[in-house]
Amino acid sequence: MNEEKEVEEQSKPLVLEKLETHHSDALLAQDEARGTIVVVVRKDQAYAVLEYLKTDPELAYTYLVDVTAVDNSQMESELMQFDYARFMVVYQLYSYQGQGRVRVKVPVHENDLSITSVTGLWQGANWLERETYDMFGINFDGHPDLRRILMPDDFEGHPLRKDYPLRGRGERERFNFDKQNV
Amino acid sequence: MGLDFVGQGAGQTDGNIITTTIDKVVNWGRKNSLWPMPFGTACCAIEMMATLASKFDLSRFGSEAIRFSPRQSDLLIVSGRISIKMMPVLKRIYDQMPDPKWVISMGACASCGGVFDTYTLIQGVDQFIPVDVYIPGCPPRPEDLIDAVLQVQQKITSGASPKGVEVIYE
Repeated sequence: MNEEKEVEEQSKPLVLEKLETHHSDALLAQDEARGTIVVVVRKDQAYAVLEYLKTDPELAYTYLVDVTAVDNSQMESELMQFDYARFMVVYQLYSYQGQGRVRVKVPVHENDLSITSVTGLWQGANWLERETYDMFGINFDGHPDLRRILMPDDFEGHPLRKDYPLRGRGERERFNFDKQNV
Repeated sequence: MGLDFVGQGAGQTDGNIITTTIDKVVNWGRKNSLWPMPFGTACCAIEMMATLASKFDLSRFGSEAIRFSPRQSDLLIVSGRISIKMMPVLKRIYDQMPDPKWVISMGACASCGGVFDTYTLIQGVDQFIPVDVYIPGCPPRPEDLIDAVLQVQQKITSGASPKGVEVIYE
């Protein structure tokens, strides 16, 4: 019986083990999706967790693959899971030390769309966070240059939100030629 | 070609005189040396490159001198999706081209938005710049682009003004 338990614990990924030891109060849920470890982390501790994942010498998730978000406003089951947080900010990390990939998800409520920027940890987060801001309207606190990156500067709204109409609100027929710096 | 040979049997001229009009000669020159300005933003541009390369060889029709400066070209080939952020750039490039100038809207996206019926995509560049020849297809084959260039040539030969000029003087 004891032996079996030991085997089970050994097969548990190192990252989950370490997060449970050092950041157990930040973990909201953990899962596995197609071979990738997924952890859901409380927003106020997200930066600390990400910093830990990057700087811990054994884990060393030094490569930030992607930052994006998911709008769950039309997914009742997803919404209920994390206290009706409309958005889920997603960080994909990769470790060259053999730990592979991990996905960190952070629930963000619609009434408080700010989250700490990780540009201090990964320079590459700069444009990724700008894209997430542009498409979803998530505000990244401490970002050095948070402005739109894909849409024109005078664009209104955040088009990847589920309540944004696919064909837009008439932007493609009437937009200002003069306003934009060509 | 629009050039009329005269003088057959007219004594000393011996078939060495050609009568024509200035317009015809100028148009003949224009049509055989169209300098395209490529505006390739998507997969249509790949077909455009193929058209310019050895296999399809657009230089057989005198249009191989691709210019990446609009100020040196007279044929704008819009090949690909144009977003609302790109449209002012395209308009600026079109405005910078010297008259007379012609525009080919290559492929479904440039002509009508194609499958991208979304908030950010221009549903046809002809809403903002005058288009002379449209090419259907997604993407069109190089033969289609060659056909479009030949249609522009026909247009020039016939003496018709480019769409852009018609818009100005309407």
